[in-house]
Amino acid sequence: MSEILAIYRKEMKTYFNSPIAFIVISSFLVITNWLFFDYGDYPFFAINIADIRGIFDYGAIVLLFIAPAVSMRLISEEKHQDTLELLVTMPITDMQIIIGKYLSTLVIFAIILGGTLIAPISISFVGDLDSGIVISSYIGFFFLGATYLAMGLAASSFTRNQIVAYIIGIVIIAVFFLMNGMANGSGLIATLFENLSIRFHYQNFFRGVLDSRDLLYFISLISVSLLISSTALESRKNK
Amino acid sequence: MIDVQNVTKSYGAFEAVKDVSFTVEQGEILGFLGPNGAGKTTMMKMITCYMPPTGGRISVDGLDVLTDSMGVRKKIGYLPESTPLYEEMGVLDYLNFVADVRKVKGADRTRAMDRVISVTGLTKVIHKDINELSKGYRQRVGFAQAIIHDPEILVLDEPTTGLDPNQIIEIRNLIRELGESKTVIFSTHIMQEVQATSDRVLIIDQGKIAAQGTAEELKASIAGQMHLDMVLRNADKSKFIEAIKNIEQIHLEDIKLQKNGDIEAALKVDAGTDLREQLFDLAVSNQWKILESSPSSFTLEDVFRKLTN
Repeated sequence: MSEILAIYRKEMKTYFNSPIAFIVISSFLVITNWLFFDYGDYPFFAINIADIRGIFDYGAIVLLFIAPAVSMRLISEEKHQDTLELLVTMPITDMQIIIGKYLSTLVIFAIILGGTLIAPISISFVGDLDSGIVISSYIGFFFLGATYLAMGLAASSFTRNQIVAYIIGIVIIAVFFLMNGMANGSGLIATLFENLSIRFHYQNFFRGVLDSRDLLYFISLISVSLLISSTALESRKNK
Repeated sequence: MIDVQNVTKSYGAFEAVKDVSFTVEQGEILGFLGPNGAGKTTMMKMITCYMPPTGGRISVDGLDVLTDSMGVRKKIGYLPESTPLYEEMGVLDYLNFVADVRKVKGADRTRAMDRVISVTGLTKVIHKDINELSKGYRQRVGFAQAIIHDPEILVLDEPTTGLDPNQIIEIRNLIRELGESKTVIFSTHIMQEVQATSDRVLIIDQGKIAAQGTAEELKASIAGQMHLDMVLRNADKSKFIEAIKNIEQIHLEDIKLQKNGDIEAALKVDAGTDLREQLFDLAVSNQWKILESSPSSFTLEDVFRKLTN
């Protein structure tokens, strides 16, 4: 456990020693809040309904571009600087390295989540928010972000180039996000694609219901992504 | 301390290390010598548990690198080739991070940090960021992270590459100093380095051990042998080669025809023979004129060149 925390602390230092964390957090909050309050056919101020679903709809798309930017450097930069060789020859397992790094991205995301609370808190003063839906939506949004970040981490473990990691990350996330649109109708394939898509499971959270199938879906995606990342580190052994 | 038995490593069809066996005793400083691409780095990567051997066994202080990898890693301090460091971290932050992962805690941590910083002479730069450091200081940070947990074994891959002559001497002194209490394996392709630093030398070439022993032993293996460089005028090349072949104690290493027709020959003369008179007579009888005849003794450099060519 102390090894995981050592990696976690190092990553947090790196995020906050450079402008990465500030840029990522502030750009997400600015863009998402602007989209929610002021953009499109039904901006919040125009429709006059105490509903914050827009935060999560727009947020899911904005995060698709922001999350891979958080995780892109995690492994690729270690490969690029050759520091990975030192890291994996210390008494620490590959999985501990991955989990430590993943944990740091979750904390960055938690800060982002905290920032989005401005909307529900301020709205709750002037309107009547359904707190059940708000809470379940936030849980859904947390799992969505956690999944994006795990996928971004996996993408980072495939390459020694951060930009390549960023693009691979976006592609993987977009494929999973949009999968339900890839097959039409009600056949087996369409059902399969729908059940595999992030959007399908994500939407369920807005009804104020927590379904174990949705939670299980996100947890599986996260586990598989972390496993792939750790396997990618281990691939040095089979060269 | 380190026992390498019949170790092979292949990258696909390419065999980087071929059936290598050697042992390193406790407290010994072993120099890995070999041309670039000889398999030195691969060997070190296997000892430090970066990757497993394809065949054979490596054990460190009785622990197998495959089955007891974590135990082995705890005993080793490793400085990889080209000293990889986290550019964006501060020196102190970085050393603290390594101490964290290595579980050096509390009062031990304070003591370890003081010791490491003074041994490697990092006091002046401890509050700088790593990307501000000169090559020499970077190398010291690399050393510092390798010894922070006071390991029994140090593995150093080309620790002096890219340093200026003063820094090279500093690093060599550091290796010798650390070698007093630790087992050290270091690699280099510079001859004087092994001569200056190590107790024993292992010459590796094309994945195999070409020779091993102390620097003196290796030199003794060709002791007494001499180089003889000659320049002859009015000589016929094929006739000269023929004549040299007839003298048992002389071996022709290289022969060149100069532009003006002179012959330039590099000869190797066996130990304990002085053939200068014989060669003089040979030249006279053929009416060759000896323009130059300069003998020189073999150096460790020659052993290396001879074994790895």
